Amino acid sequence: MAQSILDIENLVTKFKTANGEVSAVRGISFSLKKGETLCIVGESGCGKSITALSIMGLLAGNARSEGSINFNGKNLLNVKHEEMRKIRGNEISMIFQEPMTALNPTFTVGFQLCEPLMIHNKLSKKAAFQKGIELLKQVGIPLPEKRMKQYPHELSGGMRQRVMIAIALACNPSLLIADEPTTALDVTIQAQILDLLNDLKDEFQTSLIMITHDMGVVAEVADRVIVMYAGEIIEEGTAEAIFNTPQHPYTKGLLSSVPNVDDPYFKLNPIPGTLPNLNEQISGCRFHPRCPHAMEKCIQHSPYRTKRTENHAVRCWLQEVEESEYRNYQPTSAV
Amino acid sequence: MSAETASHAVTVLPKQKKDYAIISTAKRLVKNKVAIIGLFIIFIQILLAVFAPLFATHDPVKQNLSMAELGPLTEGHWLGTDNYGRDMWSRLVYGARISLFVGIGAVVLGLAGGITLGLLSGYYRRLDGIIMRIVDLLFAFPGILLAMLIIAILGTSLANVIIAISIWSIPTCARIVRGSVLSIKKQEYILAMKSLGASDMRIMIKHILPNCMAPIIVFATMRMATAILSTASLSFLGLGAQPPTPEWGAMISAGQDFMWTSPHMIIIPGIAIMCVVFAFNVVGDALRDALDPGMNLEN
Repeated sequence: MAQSILDIENLVTKFKTANGEVSAVRGISFSLKKGETLCIVGESGCGKSITALSIMGLLAGNARSEGSINFNGKNLLNVKHEEMRKIRGNEISMIFQEPMTALNPTFTVGFQLCEPLMIHNKLSKKAAFQKGIELLKQVGIPLPEKRMKQYPHELSGGMRQRVMIAIALACNPSLLIADEPTTALDVTIQAQILDLLNDLKDEFQTSLIMITHDMGVVAEVADRVIVMYAGEIIEEGTAEAIFNTPQHPYTKGLLSSVPNVDDPYFKLNPIPGTLPNLNEQISGCRFHPRCPHAMEKCIQHSPYRTKRTENHAVRCWLQEVEESEYRNYQPTSAV
Repeated sequence: MSAETASHAVTVLPKQKKDYAIISTAKRLVKNKVAIIGLFIIFIQILLAVFAPLFATHDPVKQNLSMAELGPLTEGHWLGTDNYGRDMWSRLVYGARISLFVGIGAVVLGLAGGITLGLLSGYYRRLDGIIMRIVDLLFAFPGILLAMLIIAILGTSLANVIIAISIWSIPTCARIVRGSVLSIKKQEYILAMKSLGASDMRIMIKHILPNCMAPIIVFATMRMATAILSTASLSFLGLGAQPPTPEWGAMISAGQDFMWTSPHMIIIPGIAIMCVVFAFNVVGDALRDALDPGMNLEN
């Protein structure tokens, strides 16, 4: 279990735009163990999806990634185009956010499900079709034989997302990246899909990177959590650590932005302000303009990574504040 | 499991109709009254072209000077004869064959070139600039002038007419395809295909091309009309079919000297050209409506 299959070191992804180069991901590092579920959390535009696309090597033409992405000992950033193509779908695959648009409307579900099997596993049409039915059964689609012959528009959103999952799992990848797989779905379907992902992950022994901004989803599936803000990892740790002892003001903010239905006196505490523009120059900690605890130091210097425990690290100057002061400090999320 | 048994029960039920997108498009097409007339004319032309030897009453190129310049509804020559005594009806029937052949040939060649260029320039940003500038260059020439130029280089023959007209069709087709590719390329399912490790070639041909088929079909149909008309124009100018080939444009060209004495020599092929061009245009128009995804949703 301890073997890590993905090691990302100092990944920087930049985009060339009309206003010069813009960094969407600013030197992030993390690793993923076999069979582990990692959630990447953050607001829209904080670089979650770009990280995922960097791993897949599917960024737009004007993007450039630096650093290293080691997947099973290979640095994906140096791998040739053709070789990368063989890795995609076969060893790493991805589930997209919008099940409505992520399936090609001109082909049947069966065709699209069989295609990766025929490309990567070199299965015959017949064998691929049989495997396809098998996969649809595994993702809990009733009447798989009938669904194979249907077009995407004949299926509901949840059904389509199941098909997407089936396609992603078709070649038994060792890493599955799910980019907000439940955002476009009803809550009831959401829970089903998350359960399904959890079950399939165990069954296929797949590692899972789940990108989301929904803390509820995180609580449901995560082993480990990475909180991203403006292209940087600001806090990472086990799910328990993040939920029970959040350290970074931003993480606390995220957690207190989740409504609590049980508490009638609960008040939502949204984080003030919005995510900075990508080309905005911010000195020091990138969160300081929105941080309720911003200090002089935060404006001048970027905080370094502080390890609180073995499984919990934060990038925030508040960690340096003396322990006594720290005890007196009132977290914003407390009501 | 009950779900499994249920699924087996369903698969035994009547098979689903295949390709019903085509059937529903055809149904919508047939609802358009004018399109039916167009389809009928096209059908007749195809019939005449394919079975020309059966429909023709005489040899279309055999001269019979004793029977020259007979008017229509003469015994044995119901559409009359031309100045060399050749049967107009037989020439018309064989002419249908030529115009259909040239039309299809030019459109197929034009589509092959246009689709290739359109796909490449839409898909690869790097090629886009170069290909589109070449296309712009082709656009700078008036169509018929470009065709005449090409024929002047290659020499006059029907085969060269096909090449000339197809080259003339390439820029328009390339632009249409490029536009569709640009919008389809951005769709998430293309990204999803990439994430599954599909090659560029496979994505372009298997996934993007079928999705831009609707405008291509409409373009091809409309282009048939243009191609047939241009063939006639080029032949009229003496750049296409050479006498005694029974080409409609060449027939008009030959008949213009006898315009006042035997007007049927130009009126009959003229009407033939008009009908066919009208038919292809009308069907193209109707196809555009029938293939419109917005109308798909209504039904």
